[in-house]
Amino acid sequence: MTGAVAALPRLVRALPSLARVSVARHVAYRAEMTIWILTSLLPLVMLALWNAVTEQGDIAGFGQADVARYFVATLICRQLTGAWVIWELSFVIRTGRLSSQLLRPYPPLLVYALWMLTALPFRLAILSPIVGGLLWWRPELFALPSPAGLLLTAMSVALAWTLNFLVQCAFGCLSFWVDKSDGVFGVWQVVWGLLSGYIAPLAFFPNAWHGVLGWLPFRSTLAVPVELLGGFLDPTRAGLDLARQAGWVAIAFVVVVVLWQRGLRRYGAFGA
Amino acid sequence: MSGGLRHSLRVAGALMRTSWMTGMQYRADFLADIGTGFVRTAATVAPLFLVYSRTDEIAGWPFADAALVMALFLLMEGLVGGLVEPNLGMVVEAIREGTLDLVLMKPADAQLLVSARTVAPARVWDVLAALAFGAWALAQRDAPPSPADIAVAAALLGAGLVSLYALWLLAICTSFWFVRVDNLRFLLWSATDAGQWPIPVFRGWLRFVLTWVVPVAVVTSFPAMALAGRWDGHLVLTGMAIAALFTVVSRVAWTRSLRAYTSASS
Repeated sequence: MTGAVAALPRLVRALPSLARVSVARHVAYRAEMTIWILTSLLPLVMLALWNAVTEQGDIAGFGQADVARYFVATLICRQLTGAWVIWELSFVIRTGRLSSQLLRPYPPLLVYALWMLTALPFRLAILSPIVGGLLWWRPELFALPSPAGLLLTAMSVALAWTLNFLVQCAFGCLSFWVDKSDGVFGVWQVVWGLLSGYIAPLAFFPNAWHGVLGWLPFRSTLAVPVELLGGFLDPTRAGLDLARQAGWVAIAFVVVVVLWQRGLRRYGAFGA
Repeated sequence: MSGGLRHSLRVAGALMRTSWMTGMQYRADFLADIGTGFVRTAATVAPLFLVYSRTDEIAGWPFADAALVMALFLLMEGLVGGLVEPNLGMVVEAIREGTLDLVLMKPADAQLLVSARTVAPARVWDVLAALAFGAWALAQRDAPPSPADIAVAAALLGAGLVSLYALWLLAICTSFWFVRVDNLRFLLWSATDAGQWPIPVFRGWLRFVLTWVVPVAVVTSFPAMALAGRWDGHLVLTGMAIAALFTVVSRVAWTRSLRAYTSASS
């Protein structure tokens, strides 16, 4: 890790050009990015579903308008907190292309982070017509959180993005040892889909589950920013949730550092 | 022609058998896939229970009927993922690397050859889980479906699977022009995701899309309606019309793509 710290000033100096390269890459693969955004439109399906369910009455305090606002917020936060480093990492480790990246004077994971962060404006731009259409369909959805709420939402989104990125890095590092890290990550993804608030507000789960769901990492990756953005979580009560997000980020960071260093040692043992 | 077709089918059968045997050689992988398959199935089915813990029916569908839709969805995932996806994924690879030429030279229909080259053995689990869940869902009902209901359901399921196969083939046809279409797979899977819910849940354009554009409703909701005894001539005709339409369109697209395909070596 000392290597990464030493590389920091160099990285800062190279930041503008690295960012320019990343943006150029996104422009080159814009069709691909559009497809990726289309694959995360599941919140619209879940919106239709829960809209039909709440027709007969509120659920856990959610009426039809609340359901709509929740899933619009999910749609946005999903795009803002998404990364895809697992696919890149397991690919370069399996094919040995990581070697050439290690030769560069910047830590590969930081370059990946930069690449994925520069995608966010593009993702928002592609998403905006869909969100615009939804707001046109239901104008009452348009409600910005208060300035304090907005600030907390931004912080929470940043933490959720970092956590997602680190979790993907950790699963990607598994490729140092096993062939099928993609499959292992697939299991994480389905459990994540269920418990992160992606398919339903976590309030819809039985009351006995709420405590556990709050402490599991899944809520920190999506539900917290969604609830802040949608106004379901009072900013004055968000302290615990933000702390849990920060805690998971710290844990994931340690895990990634350990896996990365051990993995590199093993990778080096192959003569790379 | 009939002799040629029989020959092609025998060839396809032999190819799939070898692929199954190759897959079974990696027994540890096979077992690991079954383990992940179990978690995946559980996570797919869980939202159904979550929804019905909050309501007795959605859009007029009671739990037992919606569970049938879910079982058919699992079956669709297993069959499409085990038989269709691995083959058509290989076509994309073959086009990129130019090895499609080798398939085109063989004395059998190219569409059949590329569609029946390989299987994904681990998906057997999905099919078994789907059948078990379907049996359980049927047991939740007061009366078993009549033979006529079962026959109609089977016919609609067949029509739906044919339509989905055709949809995948259509997607693959685009790879003759755009080489990077691997992501289309993710797009197709996420588009069919909505099929795990009864189709009346969706309204307007979404319902139209899930029936006529991504015909997943024909595989899941239509046979479920038949098993629940809620089918009529209109439903059957719609299902058959969609299957016919997709078959013709995809066949035309495939032959046109092949004609436009100038091999890697020329």
